[in-house]
Amino acid sequence: MRPILSIAATTVGEAIRRRVLLVILLIGVLFIVVAPGLGILSARSETTVLRAFMLGVIQGVSMIIAVILTVYMIPNEIERRTIYTILSKPVQRWQFLVGKYLGAVLSLLLMMSMMSAVMGVMFFLQQQSKNPGEIADLLKGPAMYFIQMCLLAAVGIFFSTFLPPLVNFFLSIGVFLVGTFFNPLFQTLQENKNTAPMVKLIAQGVNTFLPNFANYNVQNPIINPTQQIQNEGRYFLGVTVYGVVYISILLIIGILIFDRREV
Amino acid sequence: MAAAIETKQLTKSYKARQAGTINVVDHLDLHVEEGEIFGFLGPNGAGKTTTIKMLLGIIYPTSGEGYVLGKEIGDMDVHRLISYLPERPYYYEHMTGLELLKFYGSLFGITDKEKFVQLLEKVNLHRDMTKPISNYSKGMQQRVGLAQSLLNDPKLLFLDEPTGGLDPIAHREIRDLILSFRDEGRTVFISSHELSEVELICDRVAIINRGVIAAQGKLTELLKGGRIEITAEDVPASLLSDFNIVDANIRTLPSGLLLDMPEENDPNSVIDAIRAHKGRVISVVPRRKRLEDLFVETVSTPGVKS
Repeated sequence: MRPILSIAATTVGEAIRRRVLLVILLIGVLFIVVAPGLGILSARSETTVLRAFMLGVIQGVSMIIAVILTVYMIPNEIERRTIYTILSKPVQRWQFLVGKYLGAVLSLLLMMSMMSAVMGVMFFLQQQSKNPGEIADLLKGPAMYFIQMCLLAAVGIFFSTFLPPLVNFFLSIGVFLVGTFFNPLFQTLQENKNTAPMVKLIAQGVNTFLPNFANYNVQNPIINPTQQIQNEGRYFLGVTVYGVVYISILLIIGILIFDRREV
Repeated sequence: MAAAIETKQLTKSYKARQAGTINVVDHLDLHVEEGEIFGFLGPNGAGKTTTIKMLLGIIYPTSGEGYVLGKEIGDMDVHRLISYLPERPYYYEHMTGLELLKFYGSLFGITDKEKFVQLLEKVNLHRDMTKPISNYSKGMQQRVGLAQSLLNDPKLLFLDEPTGGLDPIAHREIRDLILSFRDEGRTVFISSHELSEVELICDRVAIINRGVIAAQGKLTELLKGGRIEITAEDVPASLLSDFNIVDANIRTLPSGLLLDMPEENDPNSVIDAIRAHKGRVISVVPRRKRLEDLFVETVSTPGVKS
């Protein structure tokens, strides 16, 4: 366990010093800070727009950070030859990969927590604490996005075991977008009686195979309190378990590929 | 003496699109004894780093066998007893020298700060141990690399081009450190292009060319076959035919005569003969065979697999 934690800690140390990530994070924080001023542009409720905008910024920025953080993870270690000194020590390849993934997750946690904290403060200042429970409710969004980003980081790490960074970058973003938008489309195809059986079968296959990122887009009930998830605790537990299982599968396959890879 | 490294027909092949299968390392039989400094030489692309990576278990052999400290290559127990300094190493630059040792130490479960400081003292970096590695010179980075390679008190060190790109002072410091490793009873396996350096410190060498071992043995044996040059004047022409020396070259110079002969011959009999005929010996210069000569001779010998 110790090598995994050491590798994870080093990965966090590197991530928080990467200028590109810090610039993206800073842009995200700035958008959240100026968000209260955007409410006046909307005819809709100021609070609704503020919530939607802040959550959107956190999700978008986190997605970019998760992808950039993970696509270079393994190729950089190989290119800089740091992997050789590590693997020549009593460190198994799976420990290296899990350590890198854990480092990416901890870095995401750190960066997303920072954005969420700023969001909480800005929301509190704007709302003048009319209802403190609203802030807690609002933070459910980033919590779900965090699991979503852990899943995306697992996709990025998985591809980085055998793909160059540029291909991985577009592929990971592609998987994220398809995994986000395909599920609602799939539901429509399933419900439509005119859908050809073959199309339904293919859609079923894609829906099963691709990670369902849409599970974690819980912004609608947060933005519009009139919409509610029935049995919220059960839903959150369910999608968390789904995420953990999917991440585990991706990491196991990634380890099997990386274990055989010539570095 | 026990073998620190033993390979039997170790082969690494890659499939190339047009050239078919290429053996980067081709049926390699290597024998490195415990406690020696072994030089692994070869031109660029000869298969040196590939061999080291196979011995470290970083890449997998296509065929053949390899044993490191008596265990099959890739055995994780062996990784506790060996260390590796790659060519032009890169370390996490945000770390200081001390933090780097802490990180690598943690991979072995070593947390003793005193040990880290001692190692940094050994490589003369203790005064700079709190500086970020990004501020280190090339020589300092190489020395911190050597410090990390000593963390686990290794029995066997793999050093890939340990003096590559360093200035003469850094060269000397690294060389002295490597020699101290042998004094401590460690085995050192050096892959290098710095032939003069290797000649100074290695007990035995192997020269690899295009994946094949072209020469292997003790330096003293491999470098046998030097020559002796005797310059003399007033040597009568009739005497020249009396020199019945195999592989000797006799050249007439404006200043006299130059006799170039293998070192196995006794120069005293030639000198005595010249003197007996009233000739005058001006100089006797032994021309020792150098590793560079052996290297060039070996890698350019026809018949070595290409």
